[in-house]
Amino acid sequence: MAQETTRTTRRGLLDPERAAAILKVIPPNALDTQRRMGYFVEPRWKRLSEYEALTCYSQPTPDWIPGGLDWGDWTQKFHGGRPSWGNELTELRSSDWHKHRDPARRWHHPYVKNKSEEAGYTQRFLQGYSAEGQIRTMDPFWRDEMISKYWGAMIFNEYGMFNAHSSVVRDCLGDTIRSSATFAAFDKNDNAQMIQMERVFISKVLSGFPESTDEPKLVWTTDPVYRGARVLIEELWQGIQDFNEILWSTHCVYDPLFGQFVRREFFLRLAPFFGDSLTPFFINQTQTYFQTTRDAMSDLYLTTLCDDMQFSSLNRRFLRLWTDKWLSQTVTALKDFMGLYDKVPVIAGVTDEASVKEALTRVFSDWVHDYVDKIDGKVDTKKIIDLIMTGYK
Amino acid sequence: MALSAATTAATEALKVNRAPTGVNPQEVHRWMQSFNWDFAKNRTKYPTKYHMANDTKEQFKIIAKEYARMEAIKDERQFGTLLDGLSRLGAGNRMHPKWGETMKVASNFLEVGEYNAIAAAAMLWDSATASEQKNGYLAQVMDEIRHTHQCAFINHFYSKHYHDPAGHNDARRTRAIGPLWKGMKRVFADGFISGDAVECSVNLQLVGEACFTNPLIVAVTEWASANGDEITPSVFLSIETDELRHMANGYQTVVSIAHDPASSKYLNTDLNNAFWTQQKYFTPVLGMLFEYGSKYKVEPWVKTWNRWVYEDWGGIWIGRLGKFGVQSPPSLKDAKQDAYWAHHDLFLLAYALWPTGFFRLALPDEEEMQWFEANYPGWYDHYGKILNEWRALGCEDPSSKFIPIQWLEKNGHKVYVDRVSQVPFCPSLAKSTNTLRIHEYNNQLHSFSDDWGERMWLTEPERYECQSVFEQYAGREISEVVVEGHGVRADGKTLIGQPHVRGDKLWTVEDLRAAGCVFSDPLRN
Ligand SMILES: [Fe+2]
Ligand SMILES: [Fe+2]
Repeated sequence: MAQETTRTTRRGLLDPERAAAILKVIPPNALDTQRRMGYFVEPRWKRLSEYEALTCYSQPTPDWIPGGLDWGDWTQKFHGGRPSWGNELTELRSSDWHKHRDPARRWHHPYVKNKSEEAGYTQRFLQGYSAEGQIRTMDPFWRDEMISKYWGAMIFNEYGMFNAHSSVVRDCLGDTIRSSATFAAFDKNDNAQMIQMERVFISKVLSGFPESTDEPKLVWTTDPVYRGARVLIEELWQGIQDFNEILWSTHCVYDPLFGQFVRREFFLRLAPFFGDSLTPFFINQTQTYFQTTRDAMSDLYLTTLCDDMQFSSLNRRFLRLWTDKWLSQTVTALKDFMGLYDKVPVIAGVTDEASVKEALTRVFSDWVHDYVDKIDGKVDTKKIIDLIMTGYK
Repeated sequence: MALSAATTAATEALKVNRAPTGVNPQEVHRWMQSFNWDFAKNRTKYPTKYHMANDTKEQFKIIAKEYARMEAIKDERQFGTLLDGLSRLGAGNRMHPKWGETMKVASNFLEVGEYNAIAAAAMLWDSATASEQKNGYLAQVMDEIRHTHQCAFINHFYSKHYHDPAGHNDARRTRAIGPLWKGMKRVFADGFISGDAVECSVNLQLVGEACFTNPLIVAVTEWASANGDEITPSVFLSIETDELRHMANGYQTVVSIAHDPASSKYLNTDLNNAFWTQQKYFTPVLGMLFEYGSKYKVEPWVKTWNRWVYEDWGGIWIGRLGKFGVQSPPSLKDAKQDAYWAHHDLFLLAYALWPTGFFRLALPDEEEMQWFEANYPGWYDHYGKILNEWRALGCEDPSSKFIPIQWLEKNGHKVYVDRVSQVPFCPSLAKSTNTLRIHEYNNQLHSFSDDWGERMWLTEPERYECQSVFEQYAGREISEVVVEGHGVRADGKTLIGQPHVRGDKLWTVEDLRAAGCVFSDPLRN
């Protein structure tokens, strides 16, 4: 198209005669003094950020969905008359669905810029790792059983959480919520792909290592170690309609407990004992994403919805209800996962009973501090951990 | 270590490759299709009457990290051009004012489409069963967030640099006042996200992206650059590089349902409805923005329309889908007729209601009038005469206290809104094919302007219930409505909308109130 433009039209900026004619009709003074786009948006920080200016109120909701700037009805509805967006899409209530802010102030450009840097560094890291032949120090049992199959099975855990976000991104009632949820989902998809990337990488430096996803998938779908997790993920993926319940149960109940335990307290903690410096490289990227998402979700649920001027107590009540509902299934998932310790040798201070209990305590106390305390919830951590430990043999 | 003898033996056989080795995106992507697993309860939350195949592949084989890498490079180029080169040239205030005003609308309205496409692509990600297809829609979700922010960036940039920031700086709030907004939502918002998931894909990808993306995004860049605007091409052409992926998604959607013989039963009707609805708005609105919202003309809209909508899309693109039973929509030839006069009809109404705009509109000057008559013979005797009469009555001058909507009213030209497309029309003045029909349903009167929309409403009236600006504002004085919708500048008294693009003789709220103009509902009076 670019050639056609030059062929058929004179460019007003470059054609001297036309440029002069244009300058002549531009008044010497500005017609308005307000030069900040989105000046009516309430800034979260000192001044309106670029993230807020570009994102806030792009969602065109009418004012009967709190926070909306439009009026009237939707112009086309679902068959049968269900509206495009409506308050009934969630049990939670807000006096302003546009209030949430991502503390990392991510809009599309900074988001892809960061990930692009991580992409570049990942490839350089892999090249260095392979050139050094570092794979030689990785214990073959750990590599072939634990990483290939059991860490491999986590592809499906992350991928399932990713898919739970599709209806969130369709249904949620605010623009800043929509971008936070999309970035969280995209990271989950990235995590799943990074697990497979590690497996493909090992297969490229060690001939004979299976890159196929068949074995990990078999573990995910049939091994008792992941039974509880799989059942939960299947429910998370398709069983809930409420976008807030999906985000809360994924990012504020299940992933901070099961996800954090499996990634941080099992694979990340054990890897060095098996000479594995590769898996931690990938897991630590996942952990960075986890923390960024944690901040965004904390803002959405704790700062925005729990402290809503009108609906604070109602929202807290629902969050407690959802927490109870998803916690019991998460506990089952963790209990099942304890079976994996049976497959690794006992490493004193790491995989013995007392150490596993300590690991669980770390994860649960982070979670209670990050979420449970803030919704006035109560959980008997000791009782839960004892229950989970019944899975440890 | 619990190392079995077999594993040890296998390990010894392995040879370590010490060449620097990375993993390219395709090596990961080729496993993506296996990331799904079957489970009994799996379902989509957005049912479709079509059946999407399980093994559908995607064309753009990218993974998350690679997506980010590619988009970051494009962003660097685009933002570099804008924030460095073009800023130093002062390019943000060197386009013709008529076009500077057009971009208030074009950029913000396209943003609405981009924003709703996020939700639309998410719905398709939910309803697709194949992992690769889900991945393709995910990339589109991300792209549409990008495009939302890019469109916003144009308004953001102009707010800083253009001599009239009003409207650029608050389009997301003031756009809801005027009569063009609800139709915009019909084509670019609700049509993408509310309905059968595949029907929405047809609206978004097969029609919105494959058909109107060319005139909207590419033609805008030509008109922009002719009128001194190099900002818009830098951004829109970068958007366009992602759109190919979306058209491919639309193509894959059709491929994924094509195996099911029942599909063709619905597909052609859905396609026809989608095409008609979208052209009903875009044909007049784009034509009006280009020809009346510029000083320097590129080519008559009817020519652009014929090339891209009729020949390229209706012929070539739909032709490619012929093997899947897709036919060219029967409404295409009715649309072709509208492409000649519909935008002139709409300009009369938009100008008549200029105070409700978040942009300034201007009457064509003498030279432009000649261009209109030369390219649309018969234009002057109808439109030119009316516009000149308005000018003579002082419509541009605040001291006249005259708003052209008053002329329409006085001369018995009622302005209706089509319930299905939400596009305003004036049956007694239109040279396009609009004809009025009115139905009563649920104690409410509904007006329509064509057979296709009327038929859609008769089949499913519960889908099209949105009230029009005239119903909403009936009985209210116009300045009150404008003030309530924030259509006033930072000085607290001058209107954002103006009937000219001069630097002086700006209308204030007081001037508008003095005109004593009251909204009425044509269906009630
Ligand atoms: Fe787009
Ligand atoms: Fe698109």
